[in-house]
Amino acid sequence: MSEEARPPVSLDSQNIPSALTDLIFNLKIKDVMTRSVVTANKSEALRTIQRRMKEANITGVPVVENTRILGVVSMHDILTAFDEGTIDEPAETHMTRSLKVLEDDMPLSFAINYFNKFRYGRFPVLNKERELCGIITIRDINTTLLREVNRIVENLEEELNRTVQDDRDADSLQFYVVAHDFENAGRASSEIKKLLRQHGLDPKIIRRTAVASYELEMNLVVHSTGGRMDFRMDREQISIRTRDDGPGIPDVEQALEEGFTTANDWIRSLGFGAGMGLPNVRRVCDDFRITSEMGRGTETSAMIRRTPAEEAPAAAEPNDAAQGG
Amino acid sequence: MRFPDIRRILEGVEHHRGSGFDTTVIRHVTAGDLMSEVLVFDLEDLLLVTSLNSEQVLRTAHMIDAAGVVLVNDKVPNESMIALARSLDTTLLSSPRSMFEACVALNELLSEDASGE
Repeated sequence: MSEEARPPVSLDSQNIPSALTDLIFNLKIKDVMTRSVVTANKSEALRTIQRRMKEANITGVPVVENTRILGVVSMHDILTAFDEGTIDEPAETHMTRSLKVLEDDMPLSFAINYFNKFRYGRFPVLNKERELCGIITIRDINTTLLREVNRIVENLEEELNRTVQDDRDADSLQFYVVAHDFENAGRASSEIKKLLRQHGLDPKIIRRTAVASYELEMNLVVHSTGGRMDFRMDREQISIRTRDDGPGIPDVEQALEEGFTTANDWIRSLGFGAGMGLPNVRRVCDDFRITSEMGRGTETSAMIRRTPAEEAPAAAEPNDAAQGG
Repeated sequence: MRFPDIRRILEGVEHHRGSGFDTTVIRHVTAGDLMSEVLVFDLEDLLLVTSLNSEQVLRTAHMIDAAGVVLVNDKVPNESMIALARSLDTTLLSSPRSMFEACVALNELLSEDASGE
């Protein structure tokens, strides 16, 4: 097997998006390789092998004896044989003997590393008994990855549809909030407010919800590396949850104090960072929880009851007094 | 006080006229450049006075149902800000007055309203 041109696009497992990394480590070479291998035996003439390659439209043929691999005849070997006039000689005299092989139980990532390291167009694959059981090319990898990615996307779509179905009895909205995207900051909260107005809720409840969602949304924009905001409303209550991927709040109690801020001048110049965000959210909500872990992210959960506290008959809602603080 | 009075007393320039421009009676004013401090207010018929020239001012005003925004210190809103005022139906004025001058003038208007009632 001779050296061939490096593939124009390098398959470097270090540069592959994280969604694919799992795939590359979970898939085994035997899930990806071609099992029906076109082979030759050592006494066959290179010209015969060249015709077989042409018919099968392949660029390399393993030379085998029983189930053992002896070498590979590549397109490069054929060209050399034409050039040197040895095309009618048997394979064993001109085949590439210094073989790089893979094992069928290895993760696909091994194959990708081999393609980068050794620059061959294909690798024979052996089973535990060292028998030839398949062959793997870049094309096999591409085809499998595309198929698997398709499958993942289909599953995600199905899951999404299911979520939508589950929420039919309640109103819900989901938003993805991008870090430092001040142009779109506040859009999610505008959508939420619009929905609440359509439902004809009490204006005070709408304002409280809007303030909570806007502050939480702005926190995602200003402080997080991006995150997600979920709004849900049923007959009793409105809930807003946010989840981000970092960086996390070092001291949550401190962040809940009025006036405490980590915002820089730039954020202040945009009108934020007064140190009022979380205190504001807590003030307008009937229940507010926040958990944060440095390096992992922050989760918040805000709840506002649809019946205004002052209008709720005390007798009908005996819990109100306890929760009123 | 109503928006036509506010525009007159602040020598204001009108960038968007909300649907309640002539009819809404403004009873409260909040002034400031930090939006979280503005979000503390839970008042009806509110006017927001600020020198912060950003779309977030209009978003904030929208969240607390403010009837309009006055940009002071001669700040001129950009096109996207005006477009947002239009889509949120929020009255947007700008004024050459400083924050302090504007607040004093608006307070006089509010006092006139109070004595007239």
